[in-house]
Amino acid sequence: MAATITEDDESRAHTRLWQRLAQRPLALACIGYLLLLLAVAIAAPYIAPYDPLHPDIKSRLQGPGAAHWFGTDDLGRDTLSRLIFGARTAVLASLESVTFGVVVGVSIGLIVGYLGGWFDRIAMRVADVMQSIPAVLLALALIGVLGKGLANAMLAVGVIFSVSFLRITRAVVLAEKEQLYVDAARVLGLRTLSILLRQILPNIAAPLIVQASIALGTALLIEAMLSFLGVGIDSTQVSWGAMLETARQFQTQQPLLPIFPGLAITLSVLAFNLLGDTLRDVLLPTGATAPGNTERHVVPPQPVSTPPSSRTDTDALLQVSNLTVTAPRPGGGMAELLSDVSVHVMRGETLGLVGESGCGKSMTASAIMGLLPPAVHIAGGSIRLAGTELIGLSDDALRHVRGRRIGMVFQEPMAALSPVHTVGRQISDAVRAHTGLGRKQALARAAELLALVGVPDPHRRLQDYPHQFSGGMAQRVVIAGALACEPELLIADEPTTALDVTIQAQVLDLLMDLRQRLSMSVLLITHDLGVVADACDRVAVMYGGEVVETGSVRATFSRPRHPYTAALLAAMPRGEGIGTALATIPGRVPPAWAWPQGCRFHPRCAHATPSCRQAPSVLQDGVRCRRAGELNLAEAR
Amino acid sequence: MKRLLLTRLLSVVPMLFFVSLFTFLLVRLTSTDPIAQILGQGASDADRAEYAQRLGLDRPLVDQFFGWIWSAVQGDLGNSLYTSLPVAESIADRFGVTLSLAIAGMLFALSVGIPLGIAGALRHGSRWDRLLTIVVSTGLAVPSIWLALLLSLAFAVTLRWFQVVGYTPFSESPLEWARGLVLPAVALGIHTAAVIARQTRSAMIEVLQARYIQALRARGLPRRQIVLRYATKNALVPVLSVIAIQMSVLVGVSFVIERIFAVPGLGTLLIDSVVRADFPVLQGTVIVVASVVLVVNLLTDVAYGLINPKVRPQ
Repeated sequence: MAATITEDDESRAHTRLWQRLAQRPLALACIGYLLLLLAVAIAAPYIAPYDPLHPDIKSRLQGPGAAHWFGTDDLGRDTLSRLIFGARTAVLASLESVTFGVVVGVSIGLIVGYLGGWFDRIAMRVADVMQSIPAVLLALALIGVLGKGLANAMLAVGVIFSVSFLRITRAVVLAEKEQLYVDAARVLGLRTLSILLRQILPNIAAPLIVQASIALGTALLIEAMLSFLGVGIDSTQVSWGAMLETARQFQTQQPLLPIFPGLAITLSVLAFNLLGDTLRDVLLPTGATAPGNTERHVVPPQPVSTPPSSRTDTDALLQVSNLTVTAPRPGGGMAELLSDVSVHVMRGETLGLVGESGCGKSMTASAIMGLLPPAVHIAGGSIRLAGTELIGLSDDALRHVRGRRIGMVFQEPMAALSPVHTVGRQISDAVRAHTGLGRKQALARAAELLALVGVPDPHRRLQDYPHQFSGGMAQRVVIAGALACEPELLIADEPTTALDVTIQAQVLDLLMDLRQRLSMSVLLITHDLGVVADACDRVAVMYGGEVVETGSVRATFSRPRHPYTAALLAAMPRGEGIGTALATIPGRVPPAWAWPQGCRFHPRCAHATPSCRQAPSVLQDGVRCRRAGELNLAEAR
Repeated sequence: MKRLLLTRLLSVVPMLFFVSLFTFLLVRLTSTDPIAQILGQGASDADRAEYAQRLGLDRPLVDQFFGWIWSAVQGDLGNSLYTSLPVAESIADRFGVTLSLAIAGMLFALSVGIPLGIAGALRHGSRWDRLLTIVVSTGLAVPSIWLALLLSLAFAVTLRWFQVVGYTPFSESPLEWARGLVLPAVALGIHTAAVIARQTRSAMIEVLQARYIQALRARGLPRRQIVLRYATKNALVPVLSVIAIQMSVLVGVSFVIERIFAVPGLGTLLIDSVVRADFPVLQGTVIVVASVVLVVNLLTDVAYGLINPKVRPQ
């Protein structure tokens, strides 16, 4: 049963591999070139115009001409014919060494990986020793021992390759050994050998193919080098490397001599390498290449197109009005990550921005900071800080807002600190970015900041690296960095979520204390309504990239008007209810490119009517629900 | 830091022992007979036995090995089977040349590879980045021997900016010495430069997406400072391990490059010893080169500790 499934997956993976390779013209070109090389190598005696070894002193060192298309060498031998036979040597040598390396490396890797213990330790020690000797030196030493000749030379290269194949195989075997299905197979009574062959070989195939493709190119380079030195081939064989050696002696008389063999080597190695790279992309996806990043087009600063529709609070420190943010959707076209978002934060006030993950809370914060990911743009709306429009500001102008007027605290403090710089440097650089302070003064200020956020022994800790701090202390460091220039607004994006439960309250208390002492405004992003109840004056609830309800914390929590707010409140753990099951909201937040038609919450809403499915709801009087007037959600709790 | 250095230094000793054992076994347990090489196939058994005794080849293998190790520790690597010259002296004469060539090649590779990698990462996906990727792929594929030929043809033979062949010792004229190293170092270093550029680019792309870079921007640091001071240092951590591997590659390839520019390094000595099955020379060279590679690895580890505080013992 399990085996059939694997085989199905296998064949599907293969068809996908060919399809994906077919979409890459460069890979096809490489395969085409390599097939041509192989054909030339096989058919060499039939297609070469001359005997590659036959000297013709009369026509020595000729340039390209009608009789000899690519010219002749010092003995009058035809360069084209020698190139064609050289391809034969190159292909043979590469195949020999890589085949030897794969067979030996994989077998030993399988055995030592599976047996483990002393076998493994000894084999890895030998592998270490072999890798501490340069490959060319090892090849030369092995030739010295085995004797000259191409076969011996490439056997030597094969021995070197076997080390890297051994490492790959062993690593895969060790990983697979941990996997349950090998154990399961053992329980089913499969013999050790068949376990190795059937379960593990398919898993090492992908990294092996990639490595082999690149090894083929490397083998070709080493063969050329050894033949160049005269230890690779004997005089009855033709090699591109040996042609380069002839070129070295006679290139002052015939400068074209090195061109053709050099080009042949370069093109062949390039084809193997590029094919290997493509195979790696296709076979071993790492997810490191984010598609959004490849298309970094600079968007012209957006003028404020839509006039603020809601009441403009002129006293507001931060006024976000009708903010719409878009990103390219996977299938093409644009998706709205944020639609018509309007929130404001008054001076000295704390606004809680709540909702589940994927509702657009962090995106709102990034838009305010001007730190949206490359492919994401602001399509409309306005962001004003104390009356100044931030959208459309140059990066340099925004730089003076970030850090100086708006500080930001992140969810995971360790990820928000550079691991290889001291915290003193990171905080003092933030200070120096906005002040004219010298290094020493900035460090003194950094120590003050650490003391302010409650890090004990601040002067000594300036020299410490982030990994020397606990999670809670690291978050204090991040807060110190955000407060470097006493900003008017602090954006805290889930500042306590990644911390230990016991530390969460301390950090939250610290933030609230700092807000008082520095008379800041705070935009607190969280999914924890308990935090909002403790720390915020007002709350804005977001769902599906829209604000669905805003109001004072007290009013909203006691009398929610949007079904989503009510559902969030019902899902909130309360101290007294130990033992009672928490309510959950059915379903999950859809991705931005699949917002439902009509009201975005209707598929998960207990109160949805057919009209909710047809037309989107509008934000009216602080709530985005057409049934807000008729529902009594406070009782539903 | 001192403890890290000391423990790493101590771990080199058993590695060197294993390398010695490995080469010794490799050399002695194979069929090629040095005496037949020296005296020819037709030599009488009595002559052979006498010669073997003179060279100490008749003693038990274990004796030979520990005898060799004992003298090697004292700086005596035996004598060449052909020239009878002390191996240690021949190596000492040429060692500095090979090392300076490899170091010059590495310096060239670093000074080209790291800036190119950073530039590519900063304009990730742009036309310039794609051009750079093509250049790097080509750099990885071009054989250094061909590059050496082309460089010497262009800059030494045609333009006459450099000597075609030959080597000036440092003690004679430091300027000429440096000038003589330029072409070989470039030919040697281009492949490594491509490897480093590629590694730097991918490390840098990953680092630039890290959350702490976003945090630095959120604190309003200038972009220049973020890239040069923060991102680069973080990106260099994975590049360092590549540098260690490449140093070993450079030493190996320099043997071949030496030949093209007639630089009197270890390469000629080694290739002669390979062709003539001159085991003491071969074994001595392997040990010396392996020691250099191990020391380079050690230095890289130390540098790794300097750049990455996490691996420093507390």
